[in-house]
Parts: sequence; C-alpha cells; structure tokens
Amino acid sequence: MVDKELKVGIGDMKFTRGDSRIITYALGSCIGITFYDPFLKLGALLHIMLPSRSDLNDPKVFKYADSGIHETIRKLTAFGMMKNRTIVKIAGGAKMFEMKGSSDFGNIGQRNAAMVKKILMEEKLRIVAEDTGGAYARTMLLDVSNGDVIIRTVGKPEKHL
Amino acid sequence: MSNRLKSYEDMNLQDLDVMKEISSIGTSHAATALSKLLQKEIRISIPEVNILGYEETVDKIGQIEELVAATLVRMSNEVNGLMLFIFKMDLANAVLGKLIGRHYESFEDMDEMDYSALEEIGNIIICSYVNAFTQLVGVQIDLSVPSSTVNMLGGILTVPIAEYGYETDKLMYINAEFIMEGEKLSDGLLMLPDIESLNSILEKLGVS
Repeated sequence: MVDKELKVGIGDMKFTRGDSRIITYALGSCIGITFYDPFLKLGALLHIMLPSRSDLNDPKVFKYADSGIHETIRKLTAFGMMKNRTIVKIAGGAKMFEMKGSSDFGNIGQRNAAMVKKILMEEKLRIVAEDTGGAYARTMLLDVSNGDVIIRTVGKPEKHL
Repeated sequence: MSNRLKSYEDMNLQDLDVMKEISSIGTSHAATALSKLLQKEIRISIPEVNILGYEETVDKIGQIEELVAATLVRMSNEVNGLMLFIFKMDLANAVLGKLIGRHYESFEDMDEMDYSALEEIGNIIICSYVNAFTQLVGVQIDLSVPSSTVNMLGGILTVPIAEYGYETDKLMYINAEFIMEGEKLSDGLLMLPDIESLNSILEKLGVS
C-alpha cells in the first residue's frame, strides 16, 4: 500500500525513501527528472523550468536544469545514492503553442531537454527512458517502492517509462 | 526610459489601479466584440488585476490537469509580450452554442472546426482588448497570428511563466465575469508585457 504522495511544484524537487510516490502535474515546456537508486529505494523528482541559472545569487536552484540537477545529486549522494546504480528518466519539454512565422518562440522545451541531457551526461548519469517533445502537457509520477515512472497525458492511456 | 519596476510584483497600488483601469476598458471592448459576434447582450464585471505566482494562477482559474482551450498572441513593436486567453468549458459551450449550435461535455469531444472557432474568438477578444489599450496608452502594438491549443491548464501556463522566467516568477491575470443571458461565465485573460514594456506603459500614463 502506498502511504504517502509527495507533490512537487514548478521549480522544485522532493525526494524520499520507501513506500511512497512523488508526483508533479502538467509539465509543459518544463522537464521532470526522476532519480532512483533501487538498492536504497531512494527516489527524487525534480521539476525544472529553464535551462541555466545565469544569476548565481538566485536562491531558486531547482528552477534551472544545471543548478537543479547538481543540487539534487548533492542531496541524494548525502543519503547514500550511488551514481552507477541510479536510474534516471525524463519527461516534458513540450512545445505547447506552434507560432506561425516565429519558429524561435516556444522552443524553451527543446532547450530545456538539451540542457538536461548535457548536464546528466557530464554527471555520468544515464537516461534510461524519456518521453519528451510533442505539443502536450504531462503529469509524471515516480513510485519509490519499485522505481516505476508513470506518465499521464490527455486523451492517451497511461504510459510506463 | 524608466526602469522603476524590475518585476510584476514590484507594482504598487497606484500601478495596479492604472492596469485595472486599462483592463476595464479593454475587457468592455472585448465584451462588445463578443456581443456583436454572438448577437447576444453580454455584460461584464469590473475586472480584477492579479499578480500571482504560477500555482496561484492555476488555482484561481481551475485545476492543474483541467482541460482548457487557450489562444496565444504575441505583441511586438512598442510593447512586447504575450496575450493569452483561456476558455473553460462553460464559456466554450456558451460561445459554440450560440455560434454553431453545438454543446459538449468535454473539450475532448470537439473537432477541428470547434477548435478553430474558439481560436478565432480568443483572437477577437485579444485584438479588441489590445486595440482599446493602444488607443488609450498611445502606443503601436503589432499582433502575431494566433496560436491555440487544448490541453492541461497547468501545462499551458508554463508557457508564459517560462518565457519570462528570467525576469519574474509572476503572471498578470485579469479576470472579469462575462454575463450572458443571466449566466456568469468565467474568462481568463493573461496580459503579459515584458518588464521594459510595462515600465514604458506606466510611464506613458503618467505613473512613475
């Protein structure tokens, strides 16, 4: 039985151990990144909004892909996470509106995805599964009891990553 | 060029009053346009101007995973920014009912024709709002062709929040009630000038 569900807001991160679930709703151009160490049953869900933290005094570390991933890894490592057994999955990075005549608009999702992948690669974390792009929002859920990641979208059956 | 404000949340009561005044004129023009289109009398309440964070905006409009239709138009020239109009099911049904005699339980049951009708109406509302605004403030604003989507409210609102994410974590949400044949309909208009444009608008109107 699942006894608790943690909710992650935009530009935030939550982590937990054991029989619980972590959820973030309606990822649009944002990206949800799950980290899961199956040995410890330690899981985290990070919801980033923008690629990089340009102002190093900005305290909102989880808002950005670069600082968000670094801080999540730092926290999880303190709880015993080993990178070589950690399973990472990502979802989101959609382009919600297609603007005719201005192709650069709304590409933030794509830029977020590229930055997330770059930082994860630098950190030597392998992305095991991803569901990114498209033109629709996704709700992402990590079941920390078994590492299962569920993606919910409009008009489609639930998907397991 | 004034740069008194660094973010939406720096707006003081006087600034908000000015925005409310502009919004009041903008929304009444929008209501008139809608009223002509639907051949129905539409009344409108005095709009509220809210400066809210992402989650507060979601809560104020509806549920985070709720399906809504949205029309997005980009502003450029002397004011840069975004205008986003959100249809919830009640307003969409009222409009589609009058316009093409259709009624739905959910946005998922609609077809392309319904979507394009909603996009067009969203565009008309935004354009009449912006036209009133340009006359009042005395600025030139060019509008892009509209773009629209039907999806989760929370996902749609990530678009403006990410677009200005390096400047502010707030959104300017203008909500007025459209009253058509005694029925109150929720509308959601987000007007999002970038910060430079917001400063210049307020300065032009003599608040600085």
